Amino acid sequence: MTQQTWDEVGGLLPHDEFRAASEAIVSNIEQVIEGKTATVRLALAVLLAEGHLLIEDVPGVGKTKLAKAMARSIDCSVRRIQFTPDLLPSDVTGVSVYNQETHDFEFRPGAVFANLVVGDEINRASPKTQSALLECMEERQVTVDGVTYQLQTPFMVIATQNPIEMEGTYPLPEAQRDRFTARIAMGYPDPGAELAMLDGHGATDPLTDLRPVSDANTVRRLIGHVRQVHVADAVKQYAIDLVTATREAPDLRLGASPRATLQLLRTARAVAALEGRDYVLPDDLQVLAVPVLAHRIIPTADAQLARRTTDAIVAELVHRLPLPHDRKRSPYDTRPGQGHGRPPYEPRRP
Amino acid sequence: MIAHRNLGFVAAAATLLAAAPLSAIFERWTWLIQATIAVAVVAAVAALARLARSPLWAQVLAMLAGLTLALTWLFPGGTELVAFIPTPATFGHFADLLSGSMDDMRSYGVKVPDTDPLLFLTVLGIGGVAVVVDVLAVGLRRPALAGLPMLAIYSVPVAVYVDSVPPVPFVVGAAGYLWLLVTDNVDRVRRFGRRFTGDGRDVDVWESSPLAAAGRRLAVLGVALAVVLPLAVPGMTGGLLDTFGTGAGDGTGTGRPGVGTNPGRINLFAALSGQLNQSEVADLVKVTTNEQQPFYLRFGVADQLRQDGFRVSDPTGKPANRDLPDPTRDLRPGVGQNRYRATVEVTENLDMPLLPVYAKPARTEDLNDRWLYDDDRQMVFSSRESARGKKYSFEYVRLTYTPSVLRQAQELGSSHPARVRYTMTPDVPEVDALVKTLVRDADTQYDKVRAIYDYFSADNGFTYRLSTETGTSGQDILDFLTNKAGYCQQYAAAMAWLVRAAGIPARVAFGFTNGSNRSGDTYTLTNRNLHAWTEVYFDQMGWVPFDATPTYGVPGSTRSAWAPDTDAPEESTPEPGSTSAPGETEASAGPEGPDSPEEDPDSGLALGGTTPTEQPPVWPWWAGGALALFALLALPALRRLALRRRRSAAAAPAPATVRAAGGGAPADGPRMVVLGADADRARADAHAAWDELLDTLVDYRVRVDRTETPRATADRLVREALSADAGAVTAVRLLGRAEERARYARDPLTGERLLPALRSVRGALAAQAGRRTRLLAAVLPPSVLLRWRLAAADASSRLVAATGRVRYRLLRWSPRRLLASRLAR
Repeated sequence: MTQQTWDEVGGLLPHDEFRAASEAIVSNIEQVIEGKTATVRLALAVLLAEGHLLIEDVPGVGKTKLAKAMARSIDCSVRRIQFTPDLLPSDVTGVSVYNQETHDFEFRPGAVFANLVVGDEINRASPKTQSALLECMEERQVTVDGVTYQLQTPFMVIATQNPIEMEGTYPLPEAQRDRFTARIAMGYPDPGAELAMLDGHGATDPLTDLRPVSDANTVRRLIGHVRQVHVADAVKQYAIDLVTATREAPDLRLGASPRATLQLLRTARAVAALEGRDYVLPDDLQVLAVPVLAHRIIPTADAQLARRTTDAIVAELVHRLPLPHDRKRSPYDTRPGQGHGRPPYEPRRP
Repeated sequence: MIAHRNLGFVAAAATLLAAAPLSAIFERWTWLIQATIAVAVVAAVAALARLARSPLWAQVLAMLAGLTLALTWLFPGGTELVAFIPTPATFGHFADLLSGSMDDMRSYGVKVPDTDPLLFLTVLGIGGVAVVVDVLAVGLRRPALAGLPMLAIYSVPVAVYVDSVPPVPFVVGAAGYLWLLVTDNVDRVRRFGRRFTGDGRDVDVWESSPLAAAGRRLAVLGVALAVVLPLAVPGMTGGLLDTFGTGAGDGTGTGRPGVGTNPGRINLFAALSGQLNQSEVADLVKVTTNEQQPFYLRFGVADQLRQDGFRVSDPTGKPANRDLPDPTRDLRPGVGQNRYRATVEVTENLDMPLLPVYAKPARTEDLNDRWLYDDDRQMVFSSRESARGKKYSFEYVRLTYTPSVLRQAQELGSSHPARVRYTMTPDVPEVDALVKTLVRDADTQYDKVRAIYDYFSADNGFTYRLSTETGTSGQDILDFLTNKAGYCQQYAAAMAWLVRAAGIPARVAFGFTNGSNRSGDTYTLTNRNLHAWTEVYFDQMGWVPFDATPTYGVPGSTRSAWAPDTDAPEESTPEPGSTSAPGETEASAGPEGPDSPEEDPDSGLALGGTTPTEQPPVWPWWAGGALALFALLALPALRRLALRRRRSAAAAPAPATVRAAGGGAPADGPRMVVLGADADRARADAHAAWDELLDTLVDYRVRVDRTETPRATADRLVREALSADAGAVTAVRLLGRAEERARYARDPLTGERLLPALRSVRGALAAQAGRRTRLLAAVLPPSVLLRWRLAAADASSRLVAATGRVRYRLLRWSPRRLLASRLAR
């Protein structure tokens, strides 16, 4: 399979072109998922940020529908894995089988060899199987029997899962969670949207009518555009501050990883591009902090006992963290600790 | 045990330090040596007693015995065994010394000379205090109580001086007390166990305990405040603000009982300037006389001239209710003599051990034998009684002179006692030169005096002013002769000095003018009528008064034939007024321990002057002060205005050199490619506008959240504050967008008019704010105040950090480190 290099894909697209392409995808998906524009845009942003999406919610709110609608909207290879407790890693990555004709082992690609991989009910498989996704999600390659196979671009895993409290689920390992760029919740539709859903979906499945409005090549060009979005130093600093804050927060046992910083900024670029900007704002980071960071962190036992969700903790951090400034200091944007740091000397111990 | 011994010695040292104020009443330091010996003996005996683990009562007995031995050795009566074992006769000797000390106290003023009785009393007192302090601090472990006996020592000079006890000895004494407290507490804490800092770190042995350091700092601050504050507040003492300075005492009108004080202690100069400067007028004396035009009522004299001016010396005399010396003896013929009678009623306001009388009294009535009369100084004084409320009568002889009679007076021989005593002057070459020019053409003593007297005239530029300026010469006399402005004190003292410099005996007399309140023969004299003048000694005529002070400054001033008003166009009618000749042979044999009045009182408030003339108007000061206050109050507002103007200049729309780039563009509008400099300019504009917006928010008490992005801030404003004003909504969004692009985008927003937007937002915010908020925003903008507060906080934290670093470096050299091995027990 031949792919364009990123240089060939090119940089910033003309505004109208990007807008047309992205809006087409969004409106296409919205034919299926009604009244969830923000969620849909976020999902698209994750795709354009070259990330993976974890959709977590209670059963029946349209997680799988969103994943499938997104896959259908883009004309590219789509594979679906239904994660079950007896699923094996080789089902995911692929396996070498003995070909009697050639008297040789032959690699049969697993489900991940596609542009879009829909992993349904991912937390119903054992951690062993989930671990099979680790390499492909981060490195976009699969190594089987010592041979490494590159995956295509774009490559995106859209996984759905039920909340951990549901029966028959395994918790996702931290490493696996960290590989998902964002975790979003669908949430119940509002009454109007639900009524429209009944009207529209009562008889037929809208998914069947869904036609692709884009293709892998277009998506690659969109990704190329997103990569060129400007990020000011102050915004980078803010991203670092945010992530550092999760590491230092007293309520958290595990903070966000550097990978989280990277993915936060990438997603912010995508969001900015979707909003028609060619620069990232701290606002983007603030919007994204909860989806991108909350699923990676682990609260302390105390925070858990106090029923504080990671979402709430991250939201509070965002609310408290002052904005960095690339200009001279002004009274309204001091950062805590400036000028009142450690004691200037450390007295000698006896 | 070691700590106990330490504490004992600290207690002894603290006692000695607490005795430092006594230096103010002794002329020499002998007392300190003897007191040190006595205290050392007491401390050593106490240490020995404790070493022997004797009970407290035994320690006390031992200390008393030690003190007795020390006293015996120091003040031998001749009957001791082996020089320091007391015998019964020794105690008899002690009793003699004690009763002698009472007499000495009566007869000497400060500073007292070293007399055995006084020294004995001092050493006994300090030794006793040492015993009590030791018992309290070491025996009972109540060092705080030890401050009381120490304070008792301090009360001695306080009782002697009223106005201004020198502050330094007090600081020394207080330091001793603090030392005792600190030592005790450190010892206490050390015995408690290991010492910790606030953060739980062990305190190094060489390091001072942080708590103790804090205590020391507080203590030093407290002592400094206690000393400085009263000095700095005018009116509380005659201290720093009154250059009469240290050691000055006063007897008049300060409400202090004059009973038992020594007249020689009274600082008449200080009293005078204090009274003249008082804004209240109080009746002091009511005098009735059958003399038609009496000369000044008189109560004191300053006859010792030192570098810093005239001083009062101790009077000596005989009881005033007995026969007084004949005022008319030894008089040269030609001197007029008239005998009059006067009755004086002193009000409750005048409280001093001196009685005002006319010169020269021949007989007194209604006075007991506690009142003494000094014939030489012509003073009636007492060391036990006060003039307050006294009513008495006396007969006096008024001596009058004429210039021709005075011209007959011979110049005194250089060995004449009066000339020896009253012509000593400090060596001031300028004064000597001036006197030489003045008396160049004068032949007789009177002409010389007149030449000097005439010199203090308006023609020579002399004016009356109750407030005097300090000059630069360092000498008050020269300052006065240069500035040529002053009041009676300066005139009297300067003339006396000049006359002395001419080799003629002179002194300064104190008393009352005749005042301006006369009814019949009765004159009511107030504190404003207090006055000083010069007296010059003429052979066989006695002390002749000359009043050189300009008459217009002195209500009730009188002039005499021999000393006419120099400023008057023609000679005034001769007035009787005289002094009689004192017998110089009766010169005081008393000790000369006067106070230290200076010639020049400091400028007090000019409000209370005796004269309404010559006073600079006060309103410019008030106006200036009000202006300064206004300026100070207006500073924040001005600062705010300046900031706004600068930012407005920045945010004014720059001529945008912009060209539209081809191709697509983001949603904010056509994408601009802005030339570098213009981009920077646009950024600066946006920042300036945004800063101004934030300051405006602070001024109008709208919350500023530093976690908010510009966009979020703008949204919040739209939501909360500006929803009613569509124009302001657009404007604030524009400002937010401009700032956001300036901060985060590749290219800033250009071509927008930020200044009108800013104005519109400001107007909308102001319209919404309350009246008080608006007023405050205009007058005392909170944004400026906040900035200043932050700057101050920053500066102080930097200072603290720097101090910490310096301290740490200094601590490396702390000698306490060397003690580490010894103290690390």
